[in-house]
Amino acid sequence: MQRSEKMARTLTVLGLESSCDDTAAAVVRQTDNTLPDILSSIVYGQTELHSAYGGVVPELAARAHAEKLDHCVREALREANVELSDLDAVAVTAGPGLIGGVMSGVMCAKGISAASGVPLVGVNHLAGHALTPRLTDGTPFPYLMLLVSGGHCQFLIVRGHGAYTRLGGTIDDAPGEAFDKTARVLGLPQPGGPSVEAEAKTGDSERFRFPRPLLDRPGCDLSFSGLKTALLRLRDQLVNEQGGLTRADRADLCAGFQQAVADVLSEKTHRALQIYLAGEPDTPTVAVAGGVAANTKIRSALESLCDEMSVTFTAPPLSLCTDNAAMIAYAGLERFKAGEYDGLDLTPRPRWPLDQSAPAMLGSGKKGAKA
Amino acid sequence: MASDALILGFDTSAAHCAAALLCGDRIIASRAEDMPRGQAERLMPLLQEMLAEAGAEWRDLTAIGVGVGPGNFTGIRISVSAARGLALGLSVPAVGVSTLEAQARPGILPAVAAPRDHVYIAPPNGDPALLPVAEAQTLAGNLGLTLDATSDPRQLAEAIARIAGQRWQTTTEPPAPLYIRPADAAPSRDMPPVLLD
Repeated sequence: MQRSEKMARTLTVLGLESSCDDTAAAVVRQTDNTLPDILSSIVYGQTELHSAYGGVVPELAARAHAEKLDHCVREALREANVELSDLDAVAVTAGPGLIGGVMSGVMCAKGISAASGVPLVGVNHLAGHALTPRLTDGTPFPYLMLLVSGGHCQFLIVRGHGAYTRLGGTIDDAPGEAFDKTARVLGLPQPGGPSVEAEAKTGDSERFRFPRPLLDRPGCDLSFSGLKTALLRLRDQLVNEQGGLTRADRADLCAGFQQAVADVLSEKTHRALQIYLAGEPDTPTVAVAGGVAANTKIRSALESLCDEMSVTFTAPPLSLCTDNAAMIAYAGLERFKAGEYDGLDLTPRPRWPLDQSAPAMLGSGKKGAKA
Repeated sequence: MASDALILGFDTSAAHCAAALLCGDRIIASRAEDMPRGQAERLMPLLQEMLAEAGAEWRDLTAIGVGVGPGNFTGIRISVSAARGLALGLSVPAVGVSTLEAQARPGILPAVAAPRDHVYIAPPNGDPALLPVAEAQTLAGNLGLTLDATSDPRQLAEAIARIAGQRWQTTTEPPAPLYIRPADAAPSRDMPPVLLD
């Protein structure tokens, strides 16, 4: 086709996501480089299913995904008013995540792709999160991404849809995990993020001393397991002294814990920003993604940091911070636009670091790096 | 000839990838590969190769038959998820077929081996169950049957296709895994603290 014809190119992509405890399907459409449209984004959560177990049970999650995904896809197509024949690609989370769920998603997507002849695009779940600012705000590369969720915590310079530099990340737990654990030991409902935040509103963040792990060391790495231990010790101390907790104790513990997480994230973001800004980006931007980015305290700490540094701060709406398939459809769209797609032999991967050049932070051996 | 239903049956409920293509009442192609792992990668290419060998295309299929277990949980989900995706993409019915039913032969009580010296069985007039091998043998003996946990993957796929061939017009439920054994999940042991006010 002659360039002078200037035909607008519109791409419509179906996305599937099933790497943790949300079964999701979505349709995203983009014309040339305009802001993409989310035509539908369906999420079937599994919170109820796992609530008695104090965490996501992989086999329960896998069972639910296998029997819900196709329904979810049908609903997403119907809501978007799109037929399979209108699609340019089927994007699916191919990892990292709980492998049972990832497999169900990949196989369902392969079935759809084979049957309809629509190309298959495997997407890294973390790329889905990392590219969300482009889906919501059209943020240009390169930007600094803080990805904070129940399973992940890392700083990335996002240079392209497949080009990431990891500046640092957690050496143990993810902050979302720590929020869940906090809720559990204090008898608050799961997921812990919103319940701890709500409780912290009336609490005094100064009453208890929580550590600020790894702030004494250079670099952008983080640690959250010590915060969990500190919380448990404080709780046990109160229970031993008083025979239980008062509501004020609980609120103060939540506030102290949340403040510690916010302080650590804010300081480490500051350090990551300095590395990122040294590369003199044209439009300096910090973006957050992941469920923990929904926390108001953490968000406002990062916002004021960015204000001070005269850097744009962007955070997607909550529904696009937590796991969803619109981000997978969009990440697939970027890959497909660049001419990349996969065969029907696409491998579901439990582990799949975004920055493959950075040394492994968690996990090694035959299964490969986790993050 | 053109009016004959074309049914694709497949199964990955144990260490294999197996598939068969039924045209009318004739099996026109079948495949079986031993495979302790890698079924998620191999299944769809294997199906595609078999269709090509039979000169058929995906859109020629009338219905899908899929082995729903009992068997390896991950293996069952690989096939069931693929079948659901194919059914959605082709707008054809998918029929879930129990591996125990597909293994049925006169004089035997079909069984599927499970970990720790157990087997899955489906006694006549009873619900499918997970039992120790010795118990299942006694039960089979009482019924005048022989417990048989052997199965040939190719025959299994062919039987799945044939059973689906009988049911695709009346099946209303999408295929669902037949796990029999509940998921391993222990309730949280964290006891919430007593609230004093």
